[in-house]
Amino acid sequence: MTWLKLVEGYMPMQMISELAVCILVFSIINYSLKRAGMGLPKFWAGIFVWCFVNLFYLKYRIYPPIPFSVRAIYGTVSACGIFMWVSGSQQEWEEFKRPIINVLDAKTGMTKFIRTALLILLPIGLWGFAYNSFLPSFDEPIELRTVHPAPPATTKVHGKTYVLQTAANPYRINPEGKYDQAYSNAHIVSQDMGRLMKDVKNPEDNPWDPNAKGYIKHVREGGEIFFQNCHFCHGDNLNGRGLWAFAFNPIPANFTDAGTIAQLQETFVFWRVAKGGIGLPGEGFPWASVMPPWEQHLTVDEIWKVIMFEYWHTGYYPRTWE
Amino acid sequence: MGRLFNQMTRGKKKLFAVSALMVMSCLLLLPIFLSVTAVAGGGGAPAGGPPADVVAAQKAAGEEGEAEKVEMGRDVYYKTEGPAIGMPAPVTEDNETFYPRYNFESRVLLWVANQQHLYYGSFVLAVPIFCMCIEFAGMVSKDKAMAKKYDQLAYDFIKISLTAYSLTAILGGILIFTFLTLYPAFFGYLSSIFRPVMHIYALTFVAESATLYIYYYGWDKMREGVLKWVHLSMSVILNVIGTVLMFLANSWIAFMMSPAGVDEQGRYLGNIWHVIHTALWNPLNVHRILGNMAFGGGVVAAYAAYRFLSSKTDEERAHYDWMGYIAMSLGVAFLIPLPFAGYWLMREVYAYRQQMGITLMGGLLAWLFIIQATMIGILFLTTNYYLWQALGRMTGGERFQKYIKYLVFILVVGLLVFITPHTIVMTPAELKAMGGQQHPVLGNYGVMSAKNGGINAIIMTTVLSFIWYQRGNRVPTVSWAKFGNIFMGCFFIIAQLNNVWLACYGYFIPANVRIGLSVPQVAGTLSCLLLMTPLNLAMLKNGRQLGPIRWGQIPPRSQYAIIMLATAFTWMMGLMGYIRSSVRLFWHVNEVMRDNSPWAYTHTIGFAANVISFNVLFFWISIMFVFWLGTLGAKKVPVPSPAGQPVPSPQSATGH
Repeated sequence: MTWLKLVEGYMPMQMISELAVCILVFSIINYSLKRAGMGLPKFWAGIFVWCFVNLFYLKYRIYPPIPFSVRAIYGTVSACGIFMWVSGSQQEWEEFKRPIINVLDAKTGMTKFIRTALLILLPIGLWGFAYNSFLPSFDEPIELRTVHPAPPATTKVHGKTYVLQTAANPYRINPEGKYDQAYSNAHIVSQDMGRLMKDVKNPEDNPWDPNAKGYIKHVREGGEIFFQNCHFCHGDNLNGRGLWAFAFNPIPANFTDAGTIAQLQETFVFWRVAKGGIGLPGEGFPWASVMPPWEQHLTVDEIWKVIMFEYWHTGYYPRTWE
Repeated sequence: MGRLFNQMTRGKKKLFAVSALMVMSCLLLLPIFLSVTAVAGGGGAPAGGPPADVVAAQKAAGEEGEAEKVEMGRDVYYKTEGPAIGMPAPVTEDNETFYPRYNFESRVLLWVANQQHLYYGSFVLAVPIFCMCIEFAGMVSKDKAMAKKYDQLAYDFIKISLTAYSLTAILGGILIFTFLTLYPAFFGYLSSIFRPVMHIYALTFVAESATLYIYYYGWDKMREGVLKWVHLSMSVILNVIGTVLMFLANSWIAFMMSPAGVDEQGRYLGNIWHVIHTALWNPLNVHRILGNMAFGGGVVAAYAAYRFLSSKTDEERAHYDWMGYIAMSLGVAFLIPLPFAGYWLMREVYAYRQQMGITLMGGLLAWLFIIQATMIGILFLTTNYYLWQALGRMTGGERFQKYIKYLVFILVVGLLVFITPHTIVMTPAELKAMGGQQHPVLGNYGVMSAKNGGINAIIMTTVLSFIWYQRGNRVPTVSWAKFGNIFMGCFFIIAQLNNVWLACYGYFIPANVRIGLSVPQVAGTLSCLLLMTPLNLAMLKNGRQLGPIRWGQIPPRSQYAIIMLATAFTWMMGLMGYIRSSVRLFWHVNEVMRDNSPWAYTHTIGFAANVISFNVLFFWISIMFVFWLGTLGAKKVPVPSPAGQPVPSPQSATGH
């Protein structure tokens, strides 16, 4: 459905709004038909709504495709919702189950035919389902991977021990040289600034300014490190789609997603970058991460700077508890 | 003269009875007072070390060079210094000495014993609280028939609880034996730390038993006048003792999760209050009280539903319909604040240890939280469904039933957002097609900001359903009814919009501010509950009644919804217990005593779900046995209603 785009940044609410509008339109049409004496019976209305939501909207409208496990959850919940709707009152429930009772009673030729057909088709369908489930599958097995394994209380990098609960990025500083998250939050890149930063008027916000100092200078240095080491996998836009990304399974983390670095404390990211895939703890199994332990290639300062660049570029803030 | 003498004699008798009961109550509470004094005084020292005062004396003597030197330790949580008077936590090994075993996983045996004890413990702690509320409602009711019905109901409740109480004690014994025989080193260490608390616990249990028996067996003797108030006071005492009992037991599990009062080696530092009052103790206390109440209400409601479905007469159906309604209302009243208490607990867990929070919510156990969210959704959906069905037994209820579809939409969307997983289960092919771990549209539903919005939307809708139920057979007649209706409508709409707006806004601000947004979200929801419900009642005061509540004339679907609600409660309780325990990973006592048994790993989700299901099944089979036992004794027959008359409603529907 290319004529109606999902707008980046608004997609979650857009999806709910579209569904609400579709159901509202359906209700209005059905109401008008009812007034004209041609309303859709409750039974078919329920089936239609379920099919529309699950077999059409979620399957074909939402892109990229939603994995089956999530569609199965949505399908079950929406079926429960439809049941609650059609059985909300005794009158509606009677109306809903009438076609089912009619088929079971089979008092007319048509209902007799449907009942017989169902009695033949249902076992065949079940047989087909059972047959398919016994067929050997050549797909890779599903792994319930832990994306954010719990970090240790402390981590040792280049001989120094860092307490993850209390450590802080030494480059996240204000012009006075003091640690200041609020200051750095106020100078992150925002969506309307554009990635190339050509129109930035405030020098404090412009990492390309040769006279940049303090926080924004460190961001630029972090960016240099990122594009020398990280972008091959994590991508130019930090969205996990670098040149080599699709050689891996799963593909590298997408930092622009609200569920990755935006959810984590900066020290967590520091630990992950420093220790890489092979440094993940036992409870992180299956690790499924080939990220190298960057402590073998970068200094501690470089790691902090590159993390700061990642937050700056994506427009997210590291999680804090105060 | 004779009458006066009789009155005086009767008065003396009452005075004597009241005095006797007060003395008895004081005696029952004496152990608690004594124990509390003991705790305040230091509580003695755990095994492996002399009492604190002896230590102090030794220390003083040590200065003179005559006694051995007492080593000081630093509290792992409070960071205070104290004499290390306890033994260090044992360093265990995987052998029969530390972990004696059968040819079966010891952890699962302990798990089952623990869970069954907890189920029954929760039930017997919750039901007396219900009894207290219902008995009180009966006492203040002006309608004598209703007062009797309430009294009968409270008696029915406590009768069920009494048999369950014995089972709780038996299961507690089994649990202790399981600990002693399968985890002797760990239990020895824990009991050495909590020695005084465990004695208080035992004494409190004695006090609880005695109070419960007096409360139950004294029901008929204390049925009228001042004695009835004394009887009610007994239930208050009973519940106070029960709550203290639970708090003490909570201190053990809180210590295992977030130890305090010991040093890094696990040595007790002489302050028992630090050991009890750990970082997670209070959040656990609050969460468990609410959880127990919701669970107890669910179980009693399921009992009533079962009896409703098997009823042979209209009268029986009316009685059990009403009983189910009361139990369900009490349970749901405590269900509504439960997510907020849970949120507080998780917040404290994160604040205590980041890795513990991540293990729970974003890591190893995250999928279990999706299952939990699904269970919470089922609870709220079935509650709403029951209320909608209940509208059908009221004349005038049909006015609201046509709007159910809109509520269904909000509930379903809220639930879908609430249960969308952050880490999606998918095949590698699906993962490649999606282009990353997170879906660009649904991934946003997987994080806290959206989930808070989802659950608040669900709770607000539940409150609205409840308000409609209150209005089922009534029409407000106050002069300001129109204004009141508009105000209420606007309030709900604004609260929902505020909730959705904050859920979206949460993506554009720092995490610490986002966490703070939950406050206005919750405030909106609680305002709907705490302001709109009383406002609705005020509007309905002296309102026009459209007809009586036809108790018993509710579709059987509603009763299946209640049974589903109770089962979901039980399952969720088992699940959350498992999650809470599993989050310690390979520690008996977090970061203090390591679990070196062969079972110090986290089970697969499927295995855990099977054990939880087994626990649920076992509980329901055994509780059915308890219910059956309850029907064997001499029955106090429900107060009969005149032939052809509907069973009187508790008041109107607005009374609850």
